[in-house]
Amino acid sequence: MAAPMELYCWKGDYGLPSVDVDCLTVLAYAKFAGAPLKVHKITNPWRSPTGTLPALKTSEEGSLSQPSKIIIQLRKQKYNADYDLSAKEGADTLAFVSLLEEKLLPALIYTQWVDAKNYVDVTRRWYAEHTPFPLNFLLPNRIHSRQIERLRLIRGDAILEPEEQLEKELYQDALECMTLLSQRLGSHKFFFGDSPSSLDAYVFGHLAPLLKIKLPNAKLQQHLNSLENLQQFCTNILLLYFPSDSREAPSRKSAVHSDGSDFDNEPHKRRNQILSVLFAVAAMLGYAFLSGIVTIQSSRSQLDERRHDDEDEVEEAEEE
Amino acid sequence: MSLAAEAFVSQIAAAEPWPENAMLYQPLREDQILLSDCASSLAVQAYLRMLGLPVRVHCRANAEYMSPSGKVPFIHVGNQVVSELGPIVQFTRAKGHSLSDGLDDVQRAEMKAYMELVNNMLLTAELYIQWCDENTAAEITRPRYSSPYSWPLNHILAYQKQWEVRRKMNAIGWAGKSLEQVYEDVSQCCQALSQRLGTQPFFFNKQPTELDALVFGHLFTILTTRLTTDELSEKVKSYSNLLSFCRRIEQTYFESQDRDSQSGASDYSKGPSLM
Amino acid sequence: MGMVHARSMDPVPMHGRDLGVHPDDLEVVEAQQETKKEVLENKDIVVQHVSIEGLGRTKEDYLGYEIADVFNAKNLIDVMKKSHEARMKLLRLGIFKEVQVLIDISEGDDALPNGLDVTFEVAEMKRVTGSYNTMVGNNEGSMVLGVKLPNMFGRGEKLTFQFSYGTKETSYGLSFFKPQPGYYERNLALNLYKVTGQFPWSSLKETDRGVSTELNFPLWMTDHTLKWEGVWRELSCLARSASFAVREESGHTLKSALSHTMTIDTRNSAILPRKGALLRINQELAGYTGGDTSFLKEDFELQLNKPFLWGSVLSASLWGGMIFPIGGQPVSIADRFYLGGPTSVRGFGMYCIGPQSEGDYLGGDAYWAGGLHLYTPLPFRTTRGGFADLFRTHFFLNAGNLCNLNYGEGPHAHLQKLAECIRWSYGAGIILRLGNIARLELNYCIPMGVQSGDRICDGVQFGAGIRFL
Repeated sequence: MAAPMELYCWKGDYGLPSVDVDCLTVLAYAKFAGAPLKVHKITNPWRSPTGTLPALKTSEEGSLSQPSKIIIQLRKQKYNADYDLSAKEGADTLAFVSLLEEKLLPALIYTQWVDAKNYVDVTRRWYAEHTPFPLNFLLPNRIHSRQIERLRLIRGDAILEPEEQLEKELYQDALECMTLLSQRLGSHKFFFGDSPSSLDAYVFGHLAPLLKIKLPNAKLQQHLNSLENLQQFCTNILLLYFPSDSREAPSRKSAVHSDGSDFDNEPHKRRNQILSVLFAVAAMLGYAFLSGIVTIQSSRSQLDERRHDDEDEVEEAEEE
Repeated sequence: MSLAAEAFVSQIAAAEPWPENAMLYQPLREDQILLSDCASSLAVQAYLRMLGLPVRVHCRANAEYMSPSGKVPFIHVGNQVVSELGPIVQFTRAKGHSLSDGLDDVQRAEMKAYMELVNNMLLTAELYIQWCDENTAAEITRPRYSSPYSWPLNHILAYQKQWEVRRKMNAIGWAGKSLEQVYEDVSQCCQALSQRLGTQPFFFNKQPTELDALVFGHLFTILTTRLTTDELSEKVKSYSNLLSFCRRIEQTYFESQDRDSQSGASDYSKGPSLM
Repeated sequence: MGMVHARSMDPVPMHGRDLGVHPDDLEVVEAQQETKKEVLENKDIVVQHVSIEGLGRTKEDYLGYEIADVFNAKNLIDVMKKSHEARMKLLRLGIFKEVQVLIDISEGDDALPNGLDVTFEVAEMKRVTGSYNTMVGNNEGSMVLGVKLPNMFGRGEKLTFQFSYGTKETSYGLSFFKPQPGYYERNLALNLYKVTGQFPWSSLKETDRGVSTELNFPLWMTDHTLKWEGVWRELSCLARSASFAVREESGHTLKSALSHTMTIDTRNSAILPRKGALLRINQELAGYTGGDTSFLKEDFELQLNKPFLWGSVLSASLWGGMIFPIGGQPVSIADRFYLGGPTSVRGFGMYCIGPQSEGDYLGGDAYWAGGLHLYTPLPFRTTRGGFADLFRTHFFLNAGNLCNLNYGEGPHAHLQKLAECIRWSYGAGIILRLGNIARLELNYCIPMGVQSGDRICDGVQFGAGIRFL
């Protein structure tokens, strides 16, 4: 038996096994296919073998990073969740995955990374709090610019249009996509029959963050909440396949609620304010001393000066 | 335009009927147009023919820059300019013409999903082969793309576009793929389409939809465009039901309509026919 | 050392350290000699040495021409006048911060009794100077960085670089200037630039990246400029609601053009001249040196000024131009002429006269514009030369026309077309002069002869600019 493969993922939170869309997809597929993976939940992408997350480390093939490649690799190792699908269902899988990536993913990127309030209040804060020092200063901004670039290139725009119009277009596509998924799912438990397949993994990976991560600007979430079968679908998968993570969620949430979101920041906020004021005062004083605006003279040095003055006077008198 | 103004304008658009002088703009057919643009343009033309809406095709060297979204083709109807198949479908639906009204919800979901499959895999593969494969780029794509411009602008624009496309491939994760893998993806996509089509004349029921127009546009162009190798068209040819699908649509909507119209005013851009 | 006192009958100013007498030269006068002052007005002298001190990187042979004339001075007044002129010439080279003149009696073995030494003490400009500005405009801000290298290789070469980084766009310009040693007016300039412009009257946005070389030389009374320019122009629509005619012009073009300009300028000032005339004729031929646009463009500018009664000035000006496409291709919107606005035919919106499509002005192939002005100083002025001197009131009459031509017909038909549908306007206003470069105007205009499609600016109109009709 070959050494078990290792999967590196972003850490989980909010009741999810991972906060990243691609990681969720891969984790879900692994559970569906019953692949024995050693999962490393990390917050430092530089620690992963390929530099990005998710990453699958195998003994023979090296490391792979994209979800589609990872799933293909797992399939090659005979962990295939699509074994029972007919050819037509396989074709449908391809089609719906394309639909997700073209219509839903841009809106997800927008709502988490481009929308100003969401980004600052939730996304950036989560990444800044969970990545180790000193990366927490660099990483969120880097991911931010990379995601914006990705969004721009996917849409093929030279410049991102004014926010409101862009948001409207993206959300319209995403809402339609979710409605279509809901219509396709109907009242079934999974998309194709009673056992989950890779399409279920992709849909779960894209919808679960939307469901669980509470964002201030939540238009997409509201629409998702109105589609009951999709909501049921996600919670179902969480309960069945990720029971430990979903159990953690309530306790964390209640902790946050009891403290209040502000209080969590308050000690930091106050501390930061005091530190910055002290720093500014110290800088001003330092400058004042160094440039001679303020000088402290001890009495001893005054005596020395007077002696020097007397000597100078004597010299001048001699000259004349 | 503000959102309210846009809604207002689309209401006006809905009120006016389709005029006789609608025009479709695309790059120059003989020297300039590329595989991906030709496929998109043919898809829109097929869609409009299926709806029975007349449109004249105009070739302009700067069609790509004239388009409001930067993508060809675009149509100029009345005083509205709409580009790309998706918005054009919505535009014609606002005027009361639609091909997919007869579908139920599940079928409509599938249709949209398969259209995205074609955009996601076939169109991206076409772009990859054109711009990221150095042989094709040097022999075919760059000379064609830069043909209307004089030195040194032709080189600057061609390389600029190539760089842009390569960055996009990077962003969506296709940069690491080899040419073989891309052909493999095309094959997978054709297999999925072939599966879905089965033995039916069109993808849904007996009536064509926008999915048929889109698939026809891409497959027909792939089959009739000569590249550095024949591998791409061979991948498509290996699915006989797709081949007969293309032939059927060509015969129904392109040849017969041309025979009917005496003046030959509907002048569509098609290279060699499928035999 | 003797004393150098001179009483001059010349209007050449004698005060300050600028000219002539250098304070260090004056020694403490002893009591006995105070009674006798030698008046050196018309004493013959010979200039023996002229030297320049304080040169660092400037090459001496470059300056030789500017100071050569001082040797020809015959008497002290002449020396002072010629040294003053030489100092002006040195300053206009643009390589010195400061020039001081020292006139002294010559010393040394070969000193003649009436010999003089003239020394120019110069302070060179620093090797590199930089500037940093921030500008804020309509919904955008930008940061402008400038670097200047005056006198790079010692013979007056100047390299300037300016970079502007804004919220909406960036632009830059690199310029190299080389004058001919001895003839500063004959010079060569090389430019490399990227400029972006937005033209809301046509809903057009233009980005130009170009390279140009320019040769300036005077010929008898006229100044000539020969220029070759290669520009990559990128046009795009400014808004989604741009008209289709403008949308059709979007894209990239390459223009490679040779142009020649002849200027005769006898005015006493470029802004608010009192007398003199200006004639400027410009022609541009594009297409024969590459590129994909070809046309021949001619335009001229004529201005006559004459002082009138009671300190007022009467001024008449005429502008005109025509463009001929070569080779059957239509002329691009970026090359056509535009008319109207506070700097040309007042009373109409900026460039809002002439052919238009859905509210976007497309410009025209030929135009003419004329203006008649009466400039008067502000009434009830009490002090001369004060702040009120910067203001003028003016009464104006402007007229003009812009149209497209039917190239098949002859010149008679063109003139006829230009003569029909003339737009004109009249009014009065106040002008403020800004330095010697620009002026601000506030006018009350009454436009007449308005054709359908023109946009007028009836009533009060404000204008700022460099070149006014």
